[in-house]
Amino acid sequence: MELTWLLLIKLVVLGVVAGGVGSLTGIGGGLVITPILTLVFGIPIHQAIGTSLCCVIATSSGAAASYVEHRLSDIRLGMTLELATTVGAVTGSLVAAMLSREALAVLFSFLLTYAGATMVRRSHKAEAVAREDVEPYQIKRLPLGLCGSGAAGVVSGMLGVGGGVVKVPLMFLAMGVPFKVATATSNFMIGVTAAASAFIYYARGDVRPLVTAPTAVGVYLGAALGSRLMRRTSSRWLIVLFSFIMFYFAVIMVWKSFHGGFAR
Amino acid sequence: MAGLRASLAWRAGMLCERGFRGMTNQPTEDKARSAIALILRYGSLASTLVMALGLLLILVRGPRGVPGGDLPILPRMLFARLAQFDPLAITESGILLLLLTPIFRIIVAAVSFGRERNYRYVLISLGVLAVIFGSIVFAMK
Repeated sequence: MELTWLLLIKLVVLGVVAGGVGSLTGIGGGLVITPILTLVFGIPIHQAIGTSLCCVIATSSGAAASYVEHRLSDIRLGMTLELATTVGAVTGSLVAAMLSREALAVLFSFLLTYAGATMVRRSHKAEAVAREDVEPYQIKRLPLGLCGSGAAGVVSGMLGVGGGVVKVPLMFLAMGVPFKVATATSNFMIGVTAAASAFIYYARGDVRPLVTAPTAVGVYLGAALGSRLMRRTSSRWLIVLFSFIMFYFAVIMVWKSFHGGFAR
Repeated sequence: MAGLRASLAWRAGMLCERGFRGMTNQPTEDKARSAIALILRYGSLASTLVMALGLLLILVRGPRGVPGGDLPILPRMLFARLAQFDPLAITESGILLLLLTPIFRIIVAAVSFGRERNYRYVLISLGVLAVIFGSIVFAMK
């Protein structure tokens, strides 16, 4: 692929949108990057996932830094669960190599549908969550947490997303961690989890520098912009709109898998 | 004189309190937190700047000036091409810096847990580090 100003600008814009929407709605940018790269830019899905993994590190780092500073991330719990997420991520990236483009696209559609449904449900109580204060908590069911984190790692390494859709409900509902802390801790783990599988994609040649670098630069800018805007805008309608876009992508990806048309 | 003594006593009290606080977990953990935040913030910023620099150089010199096209450069070639100020190598080292940022973060966490003498978490951090190094070694083969 030849890098032109136009392509560069398009990829940076994609990154800015993904990073911005990601930080406004709280759902990772990785969920939009892969579908757009495959459906709009015609990039093979394995390469799109490799790019998405790098972008996920770029978008999570800034937010994770401020969560860590504000004592919202539970560093000890995060590091413990990372033992499982990294092993899962390595497994996921090895499984992805064996799957066809179509199989990966269908799996990705499941994830998009699930994440979209979660967002619609959560948008109703978005404000209640925002006012919740962090109270002392006791971590429950650590073995279950480790298994679930391993599964989240597999999803992350196989589909190139942060895996917050798995980890946040796991910590919040099963492990007795307050919602805010669960979100912040999930974000804290994303970088390390993504790095564990990104090196495997990189070595396989699925991290194409001329696609990854512009998108990652855009994502970094978008995430910074999004966190500034967050205090001013109400994100509820944005969440609903965004989840419908995700349903749309899910349908298109399934349709394309059964009718061909993915780039080789 | 009495004022001076009161002031000295107050200072001694402050010193004791600080010394005592230094022995509990909280301030050390705060140090660890700010160190981790620093790595995350500046690691991602630095890698973004390096990637942007590489991309601008590619565009300025024209895409024809990029030998090897869009395939990633092999790691053992990277340093040699970086020394030649190759724009693609600069772009790619920005990506690698981004991937290394979480690894630096684990190392910083391991060191701070060590300072807290919290050896259980030092072991956990080293375990995470081992998984990632394992994946790198596996990937390079």
